[in-house]
Amino acid sequence: MKIALAGNPNSGKTTLFNAITGRVEHVGNWPGVTVEKKEGDIKQSLNPKKENLIVVDLPGAYSMSPYTSEESITKDFVLTEKPDAIINIVDATNLSRSLFFTTQLLELGIPVVVALNKSDLTEEKGIAIDIPALSDALHCPVIQTVAAKSANNGLPELINAVITVVRSGKKQVALNIGGVRNASTKEQFEKADKKRFAVVNTIVAEVERRKVSSEKQTLQDKVDRIVAHKWLGIPIFALIIWLVFSISQTWVGPWFADTFVGWIDLLYESVAALLGEEVNPVLGALLLDGIIGGVGAVIGFLPLIMVLFFCLALLEDCGYMARVAMVMDRFFKKVGLSGRSIIPMIIGTGCSIPGVMATRTIKNERQRRTTAMLAPFMPCGAKLPIIALFAGVFFSDNSWVGTSMYFLGIVVILLGALIIRQITGDFSRSYFIMELPEYRIPSVKRAAISMLMRAKAFIIKAGTIILVSNAVVQMLQTFDWQLQVVAETAPETSILATIASPLALLFIPLGFGMWQFAAAAVTGFIAKENVVGTLAVCFGITNFIDTEELALVGGAADVSSVMGIGAVAALSYLVFNLFTPPCFAAIGAMNSELESKKWLAAAIAFQLSMGYVLAFLVYQIGTLATTGSFGAGFLGGLIAVAVIAGTIGYLMRKGSKKEQSLPEIGVVKA
Amino acid sequence: MMALSKGKINTPYTVNCINTSQEDLREFLFTLGCYPGEKVTIISKLASNYIINIKDARYSIDEDLANAIMV
Repeated sequence: MKIALAGNPNSGKTTLFNAITGRVEHVGNWPGVTVEKKEGDIKQSLNPKKENLIVVDLPGAYSMSPYTSEESITKDFVLTEKPDAIINIVDATNLSRSLFFTTQLLELGIPVVVALNKSDLTEEKGIAIDIPALSDALHCPVIQTVAAKSANNGLPELINAVITVVRSGKKQVALNIGGVRNASTKEQFEKADKKRFAVVNTIVAEVERRKVSSEKQTLQDKVDRIVAHKWLGIPIFALIIWLVFSISQTWVGPWFADTFVGWIDLLYESVAALLGEEVNPVLGALLLDGIIGGVGAVIGFLPLIMVLFFCLALLEDCGYMARVAMVMDRFFKKVGLSGRSIIPMIIGTGCSIPGVMATRTIKNERQRRTTAMLAPFMPCGAKLPIIALFAGVFFSDNSWVGTSMYFLGIVVILLGALIIRQITGDFSRSYFIMELPEYRIPSVKRAAISMLMRAKAFIIKAGTIILVSNAVVQMLQTFDWQLQVVAETAPETSILATIASPLALLFIPLGFGMWQFAAAAVTGFIAKENVVGTLAVCFGITNFIDTEELALVGGAADVSSVMGIGAVAALSYLVFNLFTPPCFAAIGAMNSELESKKWLAAAIAFQLSMGYVLAFLVYQIGTLATTGSFGAGFLGGLIAVAVIAGTIGYLMRKGSKKEQSLPEIGVVKA
Repeated sequence: MMALSKGKINTPYTVNCINTSQEDLREFLFTLGCYPGEKVTIISKLASNYIINIKDARYSIDEDLANAIMV
């Protein structure tokens, strides 16, 4: 039995999907989180008879009339895959809009069961709904649910109702809306849809009683006026992000990291003892320094990442992020995007791949591609170890490093969007409209689950890609081209060093022209966590985190002297790694969303240039400010930067001279 | 008839028409319940954005859209 979940955006479809399947798909208290359909089996506790019950979660939609531009994934799914039943998730606090879509679902001839979700909110809002009357009016079962609750949530009743209606074999009866069946032209459909709304209004008037009219000002509106205030909006956002980084990097993270690294040290020592003295030194080094050391250096940052994801999940759950989109709309509009583009970027703070995928719902092609191209500039979870490492070693664990990288990411995105708008010569503007979800107390449980899922993915990655990368780096570093073990006094003869050295020349103007850094930057394209792992292997540092001092990065002075660069160069290296192309997996996601090889090539070239130029500016300006003269390789770097700037300038001029058609205005939906 | 952007806060207005050449915008607003004859209320004006109430939901819209909704 195949059951489809359909409903308006942010009605809680994915929350309900997770609750009945036991899966953990990304949810957020804002519209448009789900962009692809997802399938799962109903979990056993809700399916005692062990029937074959498959549920499909569909992206949210307000309507599925033909002729409306609403993407009708729902309609396509229903027509091609013929589900046995549809669960229509209706936001109980918003019947008057939601039932419009319900009446359309009823016309598909497939049994519908309405899940009246968020039923716990009706009471506090003074809404009373006559459930039997609603069920009668719609000719389908209506079950009250609270998908966000773990018990007493109405879900067993919902599944039972679905099984019962499917078993009964009855065809779904549609509402009698005049003119729908014979409508074939656009005008006829429009007329019918007006009648449809009239029918919905009649039903709502019959079954719903509101003590407080919804247009009355509420406490939520007061909060909105503060957090989305013209001047306060951005500082409040900055403060919140600073808090997130402080909690994960300075306050709570190190405490967890400390315990964790103790275990890694223990593992290192016990493996060393197990190997004993007689073991082949190359094999020993591969196992200890390459694998345990390299992977351990990355894994050591796991607690930090977990705390960060926990905080971000709380933020997404409480409804604040939709307000961020509203605050940022003003700035994004100036560069040809809209607040809609901030959603992929916020999702991208976890991982760029879902972030890039979330651009799919942006209608305007230039805006969609621009967002997909720029979203990876947000510091994703994999970049966090790099930030934490450099913040710890060179800036005594300051959380301003993470916060400023976050906002630098936003600034770079704005700048990038401006450049792309000029190059494409597409000056169209978009209307921005986005539903504002209700604020709610974020669920600690949901945040914890989301955190554990991320941790699991991170550990799997560490045990596969990162482990292999580190082992390869260790081998390349151990042998020279004659496959002889490199003498300790001549590390620069290793295969790795000879490959990376020419590349390192390019990095001299950026302040880190050493083969170790070049090698780490390259392995970073495989997975950004590799940057930390490769640095650990190349510099022979087994552990960045000190278990004695309860400091995130112990012996910071030692580490910085081993690396042999100063704070300015370190910042430059950090910027370079954050703003160059993301990992291959994210580039793959960009490839599928950009749908154009030309755009993909341009995106990668643009990201490389952006990383190079920013790192150059940070290093040279920083060096000038701290020492009074420019750093090494200034002239060479300046030429490279001038060539990049010249090329972009030329393309922008060419783009803005393009034949200007009337500015098209596209609606952005959320 | 005036644009919603000129409207006062907390005053229910009746939508007169959607003044845009973009058919898909009009259609989208229709599915939200924002079409001639329906009510719309401005809840807040913030920088260049408006928070409005249509049916029983709050939406954030920008100035361009507030100019296009005629009441």
